[in-house]
Amino acid sequence: MEGRMLVAAGSLTIVSIFLIFGALLIHPFGVPNAYKMDQYIIDHTQNESGANNGVTAVVFDYRGFDTLGEATVLFTAVAGVILVFRRVKKE
Amino acid sequence: MMSKIVKTIAGISFPFITIYGLYVIAHGHLTPGGGFQGGAIVASGLILLLVAYGTDWIIEKIKESHLSILESLGALGFIGVAFLGLIFGGMFFTNFIAGTSMLFGGIPTSTAANINTGGTLPLMNFAVGLKVIAGLFAIVLVMAYAISKEEGE
Amino acid sequence: MIIELLHIIIPILIVATSLVAVLLRDLMASAISLAAMSLLLSLEFYILQAPDVAIAEAGVGACLTTAILVLAIKATARMEEES
Repeated sequence: MEGRMLVAAGSLTIVSIFLIFGALLIHPFGVPNAYKMDQYIIDHTQNESGANNGVTAVVFDYRGFDTLGEATVLFTAVAGVILVFRRVKKE
Repeated sequence: MMSKIVKTIAGISFPFITIYGLYVIAHGHLTPGGGFQGGAIVASGLILLLVAYGTDWIIEKIKESHLSILESLGALGFIGVAFLGLIFGGMFFTNFIAGTSMLFGGIPTSTAANINTGGTLPLMNFAVGLKVIAGLFAIVLVMAYAISKEEGE
Repeated sequence: MIIELLHIIIPILIVATSLVAVLLRDLMASAISLAAMSLLLSLEFYILQAPDVAIAEAGVGACLTTAILVLAIKATARMEEES
């Protein structure tokens, strides 16, 4: 029990040190780091994809492969759950 | 199986939740939201119905194999629209409808919302919405059915 | 002004509900507390101007995860065992 508490305290200290440094080094709210790509998407989304919602245009058009991967993940999850919980007929 | 109060309230609020979810799916290219978000909302309404009316009542309306077929149809529609972009536009996931005179082919000229815009985005939203509705509801339905069978024995 | 106040209050409430979910012995109450944490997290996403993520978080976190957790608790034991 003593050893477990020691390990927990040590890992908590390390995580808090990294968390505090990360919070100090973060850039301010509303000022993105790389803004050229953002500005291109904001300027050209309406003409290129014809959608008013830029987020959907990025998700389904500019970054369509990511959405394809996400759909594959969901499909695999559903197939796994149905495989595990399906009733097997005892005959 | 819940009491009569829960059943009545669930029956009243289920159409509103479903209409809101379908609105989020259909207006995915205009307002915040999209296929995944709207599908999760519709699946939430279906799960409310499942909790209120019991698993046996649901399982005689729809089987999990039907839901599996619907989910595969959604995935096939998504990939099919992407391959149509490969055929007509030259690249995978090309937005080949935008800028033409087909349905959903308009280009918005201002920030005002127009449902007839977006190119392939509304079609992909519908496909992903169907996939998410069927997939998430199938997960919970299969788990609930397995648990109810275990308790019954 | 009110937004800055909300930026302070909502993370504190998120941490409080998470602590309640860890500390409670009743697992059903823990699941409901996690649902409350998820709703507060979606509110935080909304005031950080990410409405897409807020809708997804509210739908998946508050409803589907709670339903799956409640089903799992119903199939096993409700109270946490003393160690």
